Amino acid sequence: MNHTSDTTAAENGGNFDPQQAADLLDQATRQARRTFTPLTPLLWVFRAVVALVAFGGYWLSVRGRDPYSAPGGGLLAVIFVLVAINILWSTWAITRAGAGVSGPAQRKRQAWLGVMLVVWIVAYAVTAPLYHAGAGHPVWGLYPANAPLLIVGVAGAATAAVCNYWPMAGITLALGIVAAVAGFGGPAGAWLILGIGLCAVMLGAAAFTAWQQRRGVVRP
Amino acid sequence: MTSGELDPLIHVPTRLKIVATLAALPDGDALSFTRLQDMIGLTPGNLIIHLRKLEEADYISSKKASNGTVSITKVALTGHGRAALGTYTKALRDLLGGL
Repeated sequence: MNHTSDTTAAENGGNFDPQQAADLLDQATRQARRTFTPLTPLLWVFRAVVALVAFGGYWLSVRGRDPYSAPGGGLLAVIFVLVAINILWSTWAITRAGAGVSGPAQRKRQAWLGVMLVVWIVAYAVTAPLYHAGAGHPVWGLYPANAPLLIVGVAGAATAAVCNYWPMAGITLALGIVAAVAGFGGPAGAWLILGIGLCAVMLGAAAFTAWQQRRGVVRP
Repeated sequence: MTSGELDPLIHVPTRLKIVATLAALPDGDALSFTRLQDMIGLTPGNLIIHLRKLEEADYISSKKASNGTVSITKVALTGHGRAALGTYTKALRDLLGGL
């Protein structure tokens, strides 16, 4: 870009017309939003697929069985791979979006991520003693399916709201509500409700993120 | 309103891109010079000239931080700069609405 002619022209009343300026402002804002947004619509759609496959697959493997038998090794392998891809993709996206960014909001976001990591681990760690104690069908059906996500959802919504991270507060609250409702589906139905509910929440998050990124400043 | 009434400091393609990029960050957050340069696609010399003009008007603030061997310059939009961009955007809307 020719800096001298650019500035001189503009400072003399210039030939950069308002229409061009509006287009450029909208375009630059959209590009910046896309760059700084770690959780892209595509990542949310992928998470929706993971939720549907993992919880839906679990439902297919446990429905009509009393007592529970563990899902097949094939399904567990697929779930493991999908969750691993989700973790790697999310880590890469968060690192990339936050590169070169510093300040109070960025620190809050990192602290929130740290808190959520601990909440996820603690919420699911409780399933190990349950397994060890030989918990029965209803306990197995209801606790691992609902409780961790209920805890993660409520904790996530509360801490995101404290950080003024409102879109994430809404998404995690929706996650908590789906987990609470799923409890009424019984030991097997809970998995299906979670699969469908979480898929819908993630798709909603994808649509909201896409709308946020496309929204212009001059022409909202 | 005419285009002459638009803030001349912002009404320059490169500076508009700089201000719009920094405004996409939450209030108070800063961006490293190298990341900003990467996003805007300017040479360091050109970017410095534009940043200096914006800094003189108190639209942006820059800070140098050092972590031992490497020194990093961080650039942030000030409250004044955010307000100026708001006024500029409103003026553009009024202008385009009236065309």
